[in-house]
Amino acid sequence: MGAYLEQSFGLQNSLVFILSAVVLLAIVLGFVTYSIYFQRKILGWMQLRIGPNRVGPFGLLQTVADVLKLLLKEDIIPKAADKPLFIIAPVIAFVPAFGVLAVMPFTDKLHFADVGVGLLYYIALSGITVLGVITGGWASNNKWALIGAMRSAAQMISYEIPLVMSVVGVILMTGSLNLIDIVEKQKEMGMWFFIPQFLGFIIFIIAQLAELSRTPFDLTEAESELISGYHVEYSGFRWAFFMLTEYVYIFAMASLTTVLFLGGWLPPIEYLSFIPGIIWFALKFVAIVFFIFWLQATFPRMRVDQLMQMGWKVLLPLSLVNILVTAVLKTVL
Amino acid sequence: MTGEFIAFFILALLTIGGAVFMISFTRVVHMVVALAFTFLSIAGIYVLLEAEFVGMVQILVYSGAISILMLFGIMLTRHDASEVEEGKNPAKWLIRVGIAVFFIIVFFGIQSVQWSDKPADFTQKDNVKEIGVQMFTNYVIPFETVSVLLLVALVGAIILAKKEAEDE
Repeated sequence: MGAYLEQSFGLQNSLVFILSAVVLLAIVLGFVTYSIYFQRKILGWMQLRIGPNRVGPFGLLQTVADVLKLLLKEDIIPKAADKPLFIIAPVIAFVPAFGVLAVMPFTDKLHFADVGVGLLYYIALSGITVLGVITGGWASNNKWALIGAMRSAAQMISYEIPLVMSVVGVILMTGSLNLIDIVEKQKEMGMWFFIPQFLGFIIFIIAQLAELSRTPFDLTEAESELISGYHVEYSGFRWAFFMLTEYVYIFAMASLTTVLFLGGWLPPIEYLSFIPGIIWFALKFVAIVFFIFWLQATFPRMRVDQLMQMGWKVLLPLSLVNILVTAVLKTVL
Repeated sequence: MTGEFIAFFILALLTIGGAVFMISFTRVVHMVVALAFTFLSIAGIYVLLEAEFVGMVQILVYSGAISILMLFGIMLTRHDASEVEEGKNPAKWLIRVGIAVFFIIVFFGIQSVQWSDKPADFTQKDNVKEIGVQMFTNYVIPFETVSVLLLVALVGAIILAKKEAEDE
């Protein structure tokens, strides 16, 4: 990690840094735009509706139009809100969401930072977002916003623990926190981690849905009871940032699941390795994103007390069992 | 000028700035946000020192801690509550003298430490592995003692919370 920083901070070097970050941002924004479109389409089809079909061919420009509307909207800050915190909250929420992508290996060559503690970096940084959410909820000076923020904090802190614990099995088997090493290990074993770490995989999927606040754990927004939770007082550009954070986390979490449990850029059979790794990565990634939207169309929302019970009394003990079993098997075999 | 120097300058500024604002703000939630900047910038400095693992653990632990602190700040104070400016107090001078003396002691204490000439080189080794090896060989007893301490604290917190619930 130090190697990048020890190079002389020349014009060329910094230009490369900035350009590569801008390209990644553009890709992520493109993903967010079309994942919202596909989310609405998929939800529509599953509920026997058509979904967006008016703006552009097949409604393809619907999200673009929505984003344009958000950017042109009047910037409203409520009179009773805490102005500086109200402004800074979306920034605190968004910056870590984009920052976590820095360690994500898309293929063995296409990645940004090759950090020794990549997995820990991801989990640590994603924890900062909740601070932005609480700040935003408090600064709005609104009951619903505050309740949404409180729920969000409780949910994210409770589910961060099973999330971390569930990947400990993968770390134990690999012997490294580096995300590239984790994929290489799966190549070496000839088996993706979701098979030997099946329990960990299930816990990870559930905990990640809670971290993303997606259905069935979307209590922080809960349109029908909290209006829309912590960002109820936000509009226009700032609201767009909260939404963007949410979808960038879907991007990041789907990438992380692909890398940790589904073998990253590896093909399912060695015979198919003539297809480039990035295509395999994209296929697995899209499957996970589809899975998340699929759940949204089929599951009801959980209650707060059920959510907490599930986190602390079910997922946490199960993940501890998973660690114990993995450790025992590792020493015995 | 290396990128490392620029990064250190920015992080140091944020660390000290966050600490100063933490003291000078009057609202609890503002203080917590300032404190967050201090903690996170310290994590950045750890990363610059190639102690990546410690840096990441710092973020992991303190971002959760800050969120909890903020929740307490929200729950235990009114929304528009802010500290009242205190009047002149003769005892203040005494406190200032105490702080000055403390600063002098710490400053000369740090100055007189004999640092080894060559810095530890971690670039070749896996820093997580090194910490693990040290923790489970040379420092296994302190490590276990700390975990017992944490367990006791956890049990104590549960007992306290339970008592209050029974009183109601």
